[in-house]
Amino acid sequence: MGADAEIPTSPGIVCRGVSKVFPGGVEVLRPLDVTLEGGQTTALVGPSGCGKSTLLRLIAGLEAPTAGEILIGGAPPSVILREAALAVAFQDPSLLPWRTVRGNIELALKLARKPPDPRKVDDLIRLVGLEGFADTRPAALSGGMRQRVAIARSMVTEPRLLLLDEPFGAVDELTRRQLAEDLPRIWEPRRTTTVLVTHSVSEAVMLSDRILVLSPRPAKIVEDIPVDLPRPRPAGIDSTPAFRAAVQEVSAGLARGMASTTPLAAQ
Amino acid sequence: MSAAADHGVAPTTARRFTGLLGVVSLVVGWELAARALEGAFILAAPSDVAVWIVQNAGLLGRAFRVTLGNAAAGFVAGNLAAVMLAALALAWPRGERVIAGLALLIFCLPLVATGPILRVLYGPGPGPQITLAALAVYYTTFVPLLVGLRAAPSSWFDLVRSYGRGAMAELVHIRAAAALPYLFAGLQIAAPAAFLGAMVGEFTGAERGMGVLTIRATRALDVDAIWALATVAAAASMAVYAAVGVIARAVLTEPPPVILSPPPMPRTGGARGRAIVLTTAAVLGFALLLWWGAMELFDLNRFFAKRPDDVWAALVTAPDAAETRATLAQALRETSVYLLPGFAAGLALGTGMAVALTLLPAIGAGATAVAVALRSVPIVTTAPLVVLLLGRGAVGTIVLVAVMVFFPTFVACLHGLRQAPGQVIDVLDSYAAGPIARLWHVQLPAMLPAFFAAARMSVPASVLAVTVVEWLATGRGIGSLMALSASLSDYDMLWSSVVIVALLSVAGYAGVGAVERRVLSVYAAEQMTR
Ligand SMILES: Nc1ncnc2c1ncn2[C@@H]1O[C@H](COP(=O)(O)OP(=O)(O)O)[C@@H](O)[C@H]1O
Ligand SMILES: [Mg+2]
Repeated sequence: MGADAEIPTSPGIVCRGVSKVFPGGVEVLRPLDVTLEGGQTTALVGPSGCGKSTLLRLIAGLEAPTAGEILIGGAPPSVILREAALAVAFQDPSLLPWRTVRGNIELALKLARKPPDPRKVDDLIRLVGLEGFADTRPAALSGGMRQRVAIARSMVTEPRLLLLDEPFGAVDELTRRQLAEDLPRIWEPRRTTTVLVTHSVSEAVMLSDRILVLSPRPAKIVEDIPVDLPRPRPAGIDSTPAFRAAVQEVSAGLARGMASTTPLAAQ
Repeated sequence: MSAAADHGVAPTTARRFTGLLGVVSLVVGWELAARALEGAFILAAPSDVAVWIVQNAGLLGRAFRVTLGNAAAGFVAGNLAAVMLAALALAWPRGERVIAGLALLIFCLPLVATGPILRVLYGPGPGPQITLAALAVYYTTFVPLLVGLRAAPSSWFDLVRSYGRGAMAELVHIRAAAALPYLFAGLQIAAPAAFLGAMVGEFTGAERGMGVLTIRATRALDVDAIWALATVAAAASMAVYAAVGVIARAVLTEPPPVILSPPPMPRTGGARGRAIVLTTAAVLGFALLLWWGAMELFDLNRFFAKRPDDVWAALVTAPDAAETRATLAQALRETSVYLLPGFAAGLALGTGMAVALTLLPAIGAGATAVAVALRSVPIVTTAPLVVLLLGRGAVGTIVLVAVMVFFPTFVACLHGLRQAPGQVIDVLDSYAAGPIARLWHVQLPAMLPAFFAAARMSVPASVLAVTVVEWLATGRGIGSLMALSASLSDYDMLWSSVVIVALLSVAGYAGVGAVERRVLSVYAAEQMTR
């Protein structure tokens, strides 16, 4: 299956005139044109309810756009889905309560029809800091721990396109920083195309090559900010002036983006 | 969360102890009461029961094996049917309402009349008992399965789809596992119900089995035998109920749900009205088709295998149709005099006890353990006892119906009262609100869905109870009319009463559902929209 795959290793994403109106008339995305380069990490930042998760679901082919088209590696999302070369860490960790931490991660391999790989599963469990919890069920984990399981699950199949929807929302600050340092080490060598939804500007700067700021609903791109920092990020980069300057620039862009739209109209 | 703690996966030693204490005091009280009533020939002491069991061990053992075998066969057949029906409803979502409606209609067939009919259709052998056992179990498995197969958040399905997988992977990895607790909840109730179905089947003219012994003992007024048979039936049912519980605990990571009733139709306004009319019409259409098709397919003799048009003729166009209708109406009036007070009393007592125990938690634990254990007793198999104790008049029948309704209502209400959201109770507590205020504002509204679910399922249960007592003992009402028609081979009357009773049961069920929708739309809006 892998050899004659139609999807390149680091697929680019093209959105052409993509809009989404939910039944009942909720307009979530204004016609959106954007190209995300293959192998890059793109962060989506914007107020809650603006349509970030919806955009991710459209890219993942879980939802069809009302108009326009999305191409992943030159093909519609159904192709990358069929090749199981995509993984999503959903905003709600969606762990199956009857499976252990290990079992939940292994489920992704099963669903992607990949052979079991206990070593890799153990490595990922260690990477997300859940050593010793491999045989624990989700009910006994904190919200942050569950999200880390979902992150490990999304990485285990070595996807070519990784969609992370606020993956650290419930993770405590210290662990979050640790993860922001560790995770790119996995996707860096594979040049995984990654789309990351986040509320944290510093996280966006830390993890991504490009930051798109979205307006309140209906979402459109109001700022497009490249992050000019070395990849992989060296340890301790978050205390350098260059990093701080980048964070300030994005914060300012975020403020501009918000100001350019009528503030309360969309709420 | 509190439900998980209370109906916990592993019962605590303390709960085991209070349960044991309850059983022991029950037996001691029974022995004392029997000693006090000696000579009245209504109550056999536990010691007499034990003696009878030992003396008749051979006979009892053979009968027990026969009944157990029939019950097991019916259990397997009924649950397989339930799984297949649920799978059909899953594969064909637009047909779900019609499938569920048909399943309810068939579940509402009065066993005491279907028994004799099946007897003539099958000829000799265990066929009718097994079929009745299957009929007694499939609905209580089908309904929770229907809920369980959908009891998963949409994000789990998104996960499966995000790896490019479809409905089959959803079924294997999500639905099957999510439905498992619901399946076990159904199986646990089904185990004693299968025993009940097999025994009712044996009441209606089998050659061997516990039901046959019960009928003989009742005719001979052999008090010790009646009590011994009821005890064995109850003990066997409690044992299988417990056994399924043990298996469930070993297999499941979460406790099975307590409430086993489908949610009422969720839509509102004109769309719902039309949906109800359409569904009802489709259900009746399919039912007639199935009925007629089955009779024609097996080419069954019209003398005892009536077709829909025969029943129509008997009730509407035949020269004596008016007489038939009058007889039926008279019997139904007699039955309703027993049924309605018993139903109301069972609901009121079940709810009242649950509320009282919530206010007096000290005695709650022991009483709950006993009630949960007794819920597994097939009440109907104790019908001869109730008649023995309370006579063949109204009181015995009403009590039996009430008991039949009481246990599921009590257990469901107790569960519902515990569903009250903890944070809201905390808010009330922070205003130093007393237990009554807490009950009124939080716990009672939280209990309502469970109460109505139990009330709906109690409709067919109470019809079963009342018809069995009438059939076995009182000689009045629709149950007795069915028995009489069966023995006189008046198949027009027998089939007519089956149709009328089934339709009235479904109507009663739907009536409770209508009240439920009204009440819940006010008190439990979020449950309605789910
Ligand atoms: N299935 C749906 N039907 C109708 N409205 C929806 C649906 N999914 C999302 N929405 C609406 O779309 C908007 C954007 O949602 P979402 O993409 O989840 O926002 P974000 O992830 O940016 O917080 C919200 O207003 C939400 O209510
Ligand atoms: Mg979101």
